[in-house]
Order: sequence, then C-alpha cells, then structure tokens
Amino acid sequence: MLTGRRWFGTIGAMLALTLLLAACGAAAPAAAPTTAPAAAPAGEAAPAGETAPVAASGEPIKIGAIFDLTGATADVSTPYSQGQIAFVEWKNANGGVAGRPIELIHEDYGYDVAKAEELYTQFVGENVVAFSGWGTGDTEALRPKITQDKLPFISGSYSAALANPAETPYNFLTAPSYSDQLIVAMKWAMEDWKAKGNTDAPTFAYLINDSPFGRSPLDDGTAFAAANGVATPLEVPSPKGATDLTPQLTQIKDSGAHYVFIQNVSSPASLAMKNAKSLGLDVQFVCLNWCANEQLVKLAGPDANGVVGTIPFSPAGSGAEVALAYAKEKGIDFGGADSSFVQGWTALSILVAGIEKTAADGKDLTGENIKVSMETLTNFDTGGVTQPITFTSTDHAGSKALRVFQVTDGKWAPITDFMTAK
Amino acid sequence: MQSGTFHSSYSSDMGLRPYWPMRIRIILVIAIMLIFPWFAGRYWLNLANTIGIAAISAIGLNILVGYTGQISIGQGGFMAVGAYTSGLLAANAGLPMWISVPIACVFTAIVGALFGLPSVRLKGLYLAIATLAAQEIIIWVLTHGKILGIGESLSLPPETSNLFGLSLTGSTDFNFYWLIMGCLVLTVLFVSNLFRSRAGRAMVAIRDQDIAAQVIGVDLFRYKLLAFATSSFFAGLAGALTAHYRGIISWERFTIETSILVLAMIIIGGLGSVSGAIYGAAFMTLLPALLSNVSRAASGVFPAFSSYLPYIQQAAFGLAIVLFLIFEPEGIVKMWRNLKDYFRLWPFSY
Repeated sequence: MLTGRRWFGTIGAMLALTLLLAACGAAAPAAAPTTAPAAAPAGEAAPAGETAPVAASGEPIKIGAIFDLTGATADVSTPYSQGQIAFVEWKNANGGVAGRPIELIHEDYGYDVAKAEELYTQFVGENVVAFSGWGTGDTEALRPKITQDKLPFISGSYSAALANPAETPYNFLTAPSYSDQLIVAMKWAMEDWKAKGNTDAPTFAYLINDSPFGRSPLDDGTAFAAANGVATPLEVPSPKGATDLTPQLTQIKDSGAHYVFIQNVSSPASLAMKNAKSLGLDVQFVCLNWCANEQLVKLAGPDANGVVGTIPFSPAGSGAEVALAYAKEKGIDFGGADSSFVQGWTALSILVAGIEKTAADGKDLTGENIKVSMETLTNFDTGGVTQPITFTSTDHAGSKALRVFQVTDGKWAPITDFMTAK
Repeated sequence: MQSGTFHSSYSSDMGLRPYWPMRIRIILVIAIMLIFPWFAGRYWLNLANTIGIAAISAIGLNILVGYTGQISIGQGGFMAVGAYTSGLLAANAGLPMWISVPIACVFTAIVGALFGLPSVRLKGLYLAIATLAAQEIIIWVLTHGKILGIGESLSLPPETSNLFGLSLTGSTDFNFYWLIMGCLVLTVLFVSNLFRSRAGRAMVAIRDQDIAAQVIGVDLFRYKLLAFATSSFFAGLAGALTAHYRGIISWERFTIETSILVLAMIIIGGLGSVSGAIYGAAFMTLLPALLSNVSRAASGVFPAFSSYLPYIQQAAFGLAIVLFLIFEPEGIVKMWRNLKDYFRLWPFSY
C-alpha cells in the first residue's frame, strides 16, 4: 500500500539522519587525540614573554558566558566573544587564577531571551561561579535568577537599571551606563553647538534599536535634555533587519534635528549614515558604545567621517596592547573590530580580578564571596582601556567616565578628556 | 488477533480512551510526569516547564487553527496580554497569582474575542493578516508602555507567586513544574472534552465547510468568536504562567517570532490534535537544545569549526523542520499513529 511505502520512506529518512548523527558522533572521539581540546593548548604552549609564565593546572574555575553569534547584534558580539575567549586562554597561559585555570563555558544564544534562560540554567547546573552575559533584554530577564542563585554577573549591557545593588545585588557594570553615555554625548553636543556660534538650543533625535537595549537610556537622556532647555528628542526605532532606513531618516529630517544619538549596533548605524548621505541629511551622528567602533568605519566608509562616539573601552593603552598583541600572535581574526575585542577582553578581566581577589583572600570561590570581593575592588587598573574600576557595596557602576571620540580620516580619535554625566 | 472494535453502548463509544493499551499508556505518562522532577536537574526542569507553557499555548492555538480552521499569527500578542495583565495586577495591586492568573486569562479571552471580530468577514490569509495586526498593535502598546505605566521590563514581586498562601519561590523550577503540569493537564482535559460537545463539533463543522455548517444551523459568528476567546484564554494562561515563572517580563518574549513558533509547533505536531500540540511544543523546544548541546560537544573536538557551529545549528534546525514537513505533512501525531499501526499489524502489515 502507498501509505505503507511512505511510512518506510519516513523511517528510512529518520534512519539516515540518525546514521549521519551517529557518524558525526563516532568521528568526534576518533579525532580527539589529534586535535587537542581548546583550553589545554593555551596552557601548554606558553607564549614567549619576558617573564617565564607558568601554565595553570588543577581543577578549573568555571565561568559561564552567552554570546550572540547569529542574532541581531552578532556584528559586535562576535569580536566581543573572541575577546573573552582569548582573555581566558591568555590568563591560563599566564598562571590562571591562583594557579588554577579558568574554563569559559560559552554558547551562542542568538539574542533570544528564552534561549539565554535555557543556557543559563544549564551552565549553573555545571557549577559556574560567575557569569558573563550579553544583551539588555536577557540580562534583565536573568536578574531574578542570578539574585536567587547568588551569581556575580557582568554583561555587554550597561543599562542604568543594573547599577543599583539594592535591586540587582549581583549585577556589575564594567562601563558607564547607557544613560551616562547618552548624557555625556548630549553634554558634548551642547558644547559643540555653542562652539559653532549658536545661541538657541539645539534639536536632538534618537535613532535606536527596537528593543529594551535601544530604549534603555532614553528616559534619563530626555530628562537631561529637558533640564537644559532642549525640546524632547524625537524617538525613531529602526526595525530589526531593515535594509533601508530612509523612512526613519526622513522622519528625523522633518523634525529638524541637529544631533542624532544612535543607540544601536554597527551594521544598522552604518546603514543610517549611508542613507543619510543619499538623502542629503546634514546632521551630526553621535554613536553610543555599540556602534562607536571600527566596524562602523569599515561598513560606512567615508560616510562615517565626522561621526562622534562615546567609547567606554578605548582600544589604546597598555591593556589593549596586551590583548591585541595576543590576538596577533595567535592569529585571531576579529574582523578589525579592535574596540569590541578589547571590550570583551577587559570586561572579563574585571570579573576575573574579583575572582582572583577572592582566591587571594583565601576564601572559597562561591558567588557570594566573589560578590563581596568585587565590591572591594578599588581602582583596578585596566591599562588605560577604561578609567580605574571601583565597585562598592552601594554602587555597582565600576566606571563613570569616558572620552568622546570622533572619526577623522577613517580613524577614531579622542576629542575630549574623560567626562562624566554628573 | 483483534479484528475490530465493537461498542455496545454510547458511553463506551464516546470514551476518550476506550482501549486498555491507551489507558496503560496514559497511566505510564502520568507516572513519568510524577517521577520526573524528583530526578531531573534544574536544566531539565527548566526545559520541561518551557515545554509545558508552550504546550498550553499551542493547544490553545490548535483550537483556533486546527479545529476551527481560522489562521492566527497573533498568539504571541495574546500571550503578552495575559503576561502583562497578571504582571501588572501582581506588581501594582500585589494580588497573588491564584487570583491574578485567572483574571488575566479571562481578560485575554475578551481581548482575543475583540480581535476575532474581523473573522466574521475575513477568511484564510486575510484573517491571518488581521491577526498579525492584533499582534503588532499589542506589541506597540507595550513598547509605548508609558501609557500603562510600565517600563522596558516588568518585575513581579516574588511573594505574589503563591498558590493559596503556598509560596512557589525557593526552588522555583521544581515548584512551578507542578503548577505548570497541573495547568497543562487541566487544559488537555478541557480541550479534549470540548470537541465532544456541541460547541466543539460546531467549530469542526466550520473548519470543514463553513457554508454547510451555516446551513445546518451553526451560528458562524458566535462559534468563531467563541473559538477566538477560548484560544486566547489559553494563550493568556501561558503568558501569565511565563510571567510568574520567570519573575520578570519584557515584550521581547512575545514578538511575532513567538507567534510563528507556536504556529510551527502545531503544524509540526499535527493540526487538530491535542497530543500533537504537545509533541510539537516538545519537538520545537528540545531540538534547538539538543543541537546546541551537540554543537558544544563538537566545538571541543573541532575547534577549527567552532565559529561555524552556530550557523550549522540554525541550518540543521531549519532542515529538520523541512524534512518533517516533506515526509509527514500531518505531523508528529501521524508518525506516532503510523508507528502504532505498524506494530499492531506486524508482521502482517499490508
């Protein structure tokens, strides 16, 4: 009978799939001896440094991490993830934490909150002692869980809501919050406006990612603008996966905005700059953290010239040199996204500094102890990448100042000294 | 060898599980459900709870799409209505969840019926677009949440997660397992019985031929609206459970992608079948989890490929779904039936 035959077809297809999977599974262990596990070679093959580094050994300290390698923010999350993975390799090759290696348990979550929760519970089940998250939406969603599990958490999100330990006792911000970044950007814009000889107030607009990440700093920014006599900025969300932002930019053009603050990742931001050029829109774009990077310059080309950005993790300074030199030595290709790579590296180094402090104090490496150690971290030097990091038990915003940069001739160059939102 | 099934009374003919193998199977399933949480770790409990919530939502959508034949891609939006209603009641009025969740379900049912109004004139793809509008309108309201006094996310006070004074916080995953599975069992019982009632048969008649149904006296408008309301009721339940289980909600959880995912669950599981919706929910939750575990295992072995694994994972997910639809368009429930038939007739299958 026909249905019977089709049934066999189905079974056949399933068998074929199973065999294929089994073949992959069988091939896996066979290949193992020739290709050593990823974490180990970094320990064995010590880099030729001036000091003879001792590779870490013993029971690994596990840190969980989720990255967005396939989702809406993959353009900046990929180099960020490479920075974190490289940092762990480098750290292990240089003695690890009190002689013990770090194991970074990481996986792609595709910017999907539910997937982030699933991976989080999985990694917690594997006894991680700290966690490195990514997006605003998922960091917020995990807030109740990490508080319950007492797990110190850093993230690629700098939402101001995460800096208050009274509400989020286990979240640590390694950079000025998005709100602070926006306020610094606005401060710069108002000074710039005055310097150009205008006496009236400038007009602002927001071009944002259509997500909690995009909207995170807007309330604080608008309050700051209002306090300084600037009209409420127009809020224009750019749709996910848009290939043309002309309608959004036309809306901004009609509003007569002089400064457009972009809270988005590099690809849509560069698209906005290209579209603005063809639309003849003459505004000053100001990028916050995740679009103020080399990728923007690469993608937007000459249209990026003159763009201003708040870069909390400067890819210059001795700390960045270590990271970039290691990447060069190991041949890590992060697509020229120096600042995102350095950001991932440095952010994790801050978390690991907290763990190191716990170990140095001779305490057990539990989430609770690491949190206490993190809160005593004072003026931790990131080698010029950020201002020295200080956490206290009442303030989890580790760094409050950053410099404003501008693209000139395809390069980001600082145009101000360190500025704070205060 | 069994040559046929003979019913000698109406009640045995109407029985949900008339045969002993079915009864033994359901007892086994219940036994596994009761034993599972005592042995499972948090990861598996989290997956089971995710599947449970998704299954409630999928069963709800199946009432509308599978049984009544009204295509909807607004299920995610209705889940959001349930989640935010329950969440706002918990956060602002401090209502415990055993009060706020039923209110959320009823409110979502009303909202669902409201958005179901166009269904009286629209059919097929046109109705799908109307429900898409419902989805987008609901999400728009939530992203401009200042109207409702909500920010980017809404935290629910943990003390509101209690059942008649019994707190569910602490080992949240374990406690919520019982609540979610309890709700799922009630949903399954309700929906299975719905389609043995006049209302359920009227819905099936509308799906099979709406004009014929009208001719024999089915009030199309009434039953379509009833289908929308019932379907949204369960969407609301799923949303409200999500809100309390996760303790914090944002609109990102309930976008169009969620709607399409729920629709995919019932298509893969089997349209017009309660068990199909559960299979679909389990399949769509477990497959990505399985793939990500395989990819993690593989990344340790093939470090050179590790940067491609996320993409391979996504491609494999898509491929699995396409293969499924090619080889068994009627879904997992049909595969299961085929498997049972195969063994029932073995070795004399013809």
